[in-house]
Amino acid sequence: MPGLLERTEAHGETTLVVGPESLVDACTYLRDEAGFDMLADIAATDYLGWGGDGVSGYIGTPSGRNLNAPMTQGHQRLPAPKPKRFAINYHLLAVRQGAPRVRVQVWLDEGEAVPSVIGVWPTADWHEREAWDMLGIAIEGHPNLLRILMPDDWEGHPLRKDYPLGGEPVRFSEAE
Amino acid sequence: MTLAPERARIYEGTRIPEPIPTILRVPPELRDSEDVLQVNFGPNHPSTHGVLRLIVDLDGESVVGLEAVIGYLHTGFEKNMEEKNWWKAITYPPRIDYLSFQKNELVFVLAIEKLLDLPIPPKATWMRMLLSELNRIHSHLVWLATAALELGAISMFWYAFRERDLILDLFELVAGARMHTRYFQAGGLSEDIPLGFFPECRKFVDRMPHAVDEYEQLIDRNQIWLERTVGLGLLSREDAIALGQTGPVLRGSGVDFDLRRADPYLAYDQVDFRVPVYHRGDVYDRYRVRMDEMRESTRIVAQCVDRLEHMEGEPWIADDRKVVLPPREELHTSMESLIHHFKLVTEGYRVPEGEVYVAVESARGELGCYVVSEGGPRPWRVKFRAPSFVALEATASLMRDALVADMIAVVGSLDTVMGEVDR
Amino acid sequence: MAVKPQRLRDHGLKTERLLMRRGPSVFEQELGDLEQALMTTTLSKALQWAQSKSMWPDTFGLSCCAIEMMAIVSPRYDIARFGMEAFRSSPRQADLLIVSGRVAHKMAEPLRQIYDQMLEPKWVIAMGACASSGGMFNNYTVLQGVDKIVAVDIHVPGCPPRPEALMEGIVRLHEKIRAGVPPAYEIRGVAS
Repeated sequence: MPGLLERTEAHGETTLVVGPESLVDACTYLRDEAGFDMLADIAATDYLGWGGDGVSGYIGTPSGRNLNAPMTQGHQRLPAPKPKRFAINYHLLAVRQGAPRVRVQVWLDEGEAVPSVIGVWPTADWHEREAWDMLGIAIEGHPNLLRILMPDDWEGHPLRKDYPLGGEPVRFSEAE
Repeated sequence: MTLAPERARIYEGTRIPEPIPTILRVPPELRDSEDVLQVNFGPNHPSTHGVLRLIVDLDGESVVGLEAVIGYLHTGFEKNMEEKNWWKAITYPPRIDYLSFQKNELVFVLAIEKLLDLPIPPKATWMRMLLSELNRIHSHLVWLATAALELGAISMFWYAFRERDLILDLFELVAGARMHTRYFQAGGLSEDIPLGFFPECRKFVDRMPHAVDEYEQLIDRNQIWLERTVGLGLLSREDAIALGQTGPVLRGSGVDFDLRRADPYLAYDQVDFRVPVYHRGDVYDRYRVRMDEMRESTRIVAQCVDRLEHMEGEPWIADDRKVVLPPREELHTSMESLIHHFKLVTEGYRVPEGEVYVAVESARGELGCYVVSEGGPRPWRVKFRAPSFVALEATASLMRDALVADMIAVVGSLDTVMGEVDR
Repeated sequence: MAVKPQRLRDHGLKTERLLMRRGPSVFEQELGDLEQALMTTTLSKALQWAQSKSMWPDTFGLSCCAIEMMAIVSPRYDIARFGMEAFRSSPRQADLLIVSGRVAHKMAEPLRQIYDQMLEPKWVIAMGACASSGGMFNNYTVLQGVDKIVAVDIHVPGCPPRPEALMEGIVRLHEKIRAGVPPAYEIRGVAS
């Protein structure tokens, strides 16, 4: 597969990490050669503050503790740090018996752009608009990159971690 | 799975508009014409699909340009769920797709269980399957009622809502609430199945096929219905897959793909049901797929009831005290149970670090949930893949060479729920 | 001397309903006081009777509450008994706006436009928790209570409220009107 940087398997799912420059080639390869003819979802995540909470309990060792063994404090270990701030995940599905799935992951920093896969799967149109609207990930080559869920004159990208939840303060409660 | 080559193609080539796949642009020769009128089918309009806005360019009665504007029901589910712990966050998903509400809970809970690697007792699995199928029937009933209502078959509304109330009675019997029951927990069900549920469920199962017969008698051979649905809103197989369609829209276009059959979750490989597939790709075929799905779902419910009646007294939730509350009686005697109860109620359980994507076959198609966990008591990111969001992307392709009256039929056949489109 | 245990029937009590006799509820009490204080004329009384007897709601279903609002038209809960099954699509023809569902900020402007297009007298029922106060969504995008932009007469709690609960809200609205309480925009002095 062209441009593959890393391949991980977890919980029965395969994640393929590619760089933004080879995304379109990789997706074309996956659609034509590997048979993943449907793009199910584009899910982008903001990892700002990942691992910032720290380990709870009075012992936090790198080896961590098992969640399901007795007498543990719960939190395992500090989560592995992420390479960049944003990850945009393309969940692909092959429409056949067995429904194999794969996840293509691209890591981006603030301000970096990712090319649009609208030429590979037309359904990416609104998903990419949502990634731009909610997280501010710039998509290059998208013919209509406008806000889709928020009003057109909204400022800010709501699903970013530095964007506040908003709403009104409620009496008698602090956090939740 | 692939369509046998002898069947005729629905249309040649592709009808997906260029350059923007989701916007039908007025053709250049009409652009300066005075005959083209831009009309706004605003967010509040009588077709009860919710707050969808369609900006339509009309040349007389035919639609020459179409753009769908969404976001009028954006509720910020995903951001809200990041602030709640895993247990409390389960209350949010049912409001996303508010017609088949327990399916959203199901997909979220399945994602949590996949990250936790938690074994689920079979009673919970079968009950989840039963409730999922009841939700599918509920969603199709409301779809039928509203789609027929918009096309003028007003009396279908009352017939379909009669059965819908029976299903909601069953939900109330099981979980205490008609809608948004929040009955699923990570680990199984939140409570045992109450006595008296199975006889009521059987009554419903016996009643439902006759009800579907009634609906079909009312509109299936009705000349007006046929003229308003046959041959409209055509979608070929390739276009459907390219546009990411799933569920009845895909199966109405001839693609035999159902997640319950292709990649069985819960216990769908142990029940016997048919997956209806029709090949003309029009509004009528999607209607037929949903009617047949109602019958098949009733059969699945009957098989689940058969199986569940033998499971009296079995556990309904997993035994892992790190995730599941201990039974109240234990709290009086066991100190560890008390501590577990305390930790679970105040902080909540912690889900190991990782990311998963789980998909179920909702009434509208593939409902997916992408969950990223940091290892803490709260989700880091939850994203729901909503089938209606993707279905609305196809409106522009479906409305080529159509009249404005067909627009209602076509949008109705996509069975969109704006709650899940806007999340 | 111990009382011989006997059935209530033997003591002369024919039915338990007599035991359960309660006076008017708090709501009815207050309405009664209000009605006496307002002292409406017979003509106004007749007008109010007519307004409450066939109030036509506007189709303003937004989300989950809309499904329960559709359920009150269904045969089991039957709002046609109150003359209200004719949900008008045009706000110009409607008297009652049942805001059913969460109102996003993007939708707030269309909601206000619809409210403005309705002719006086008009009433608003905020159905459900999201319309009354934002519900469980205390965030950047949901309007925390539709009474921030329109004048609400009745709030119906629930998530979603049962059809019977919505009907209770509607019946209370009818009783309010017949008692002579003016619509909410007159009370609050809101530009309508």
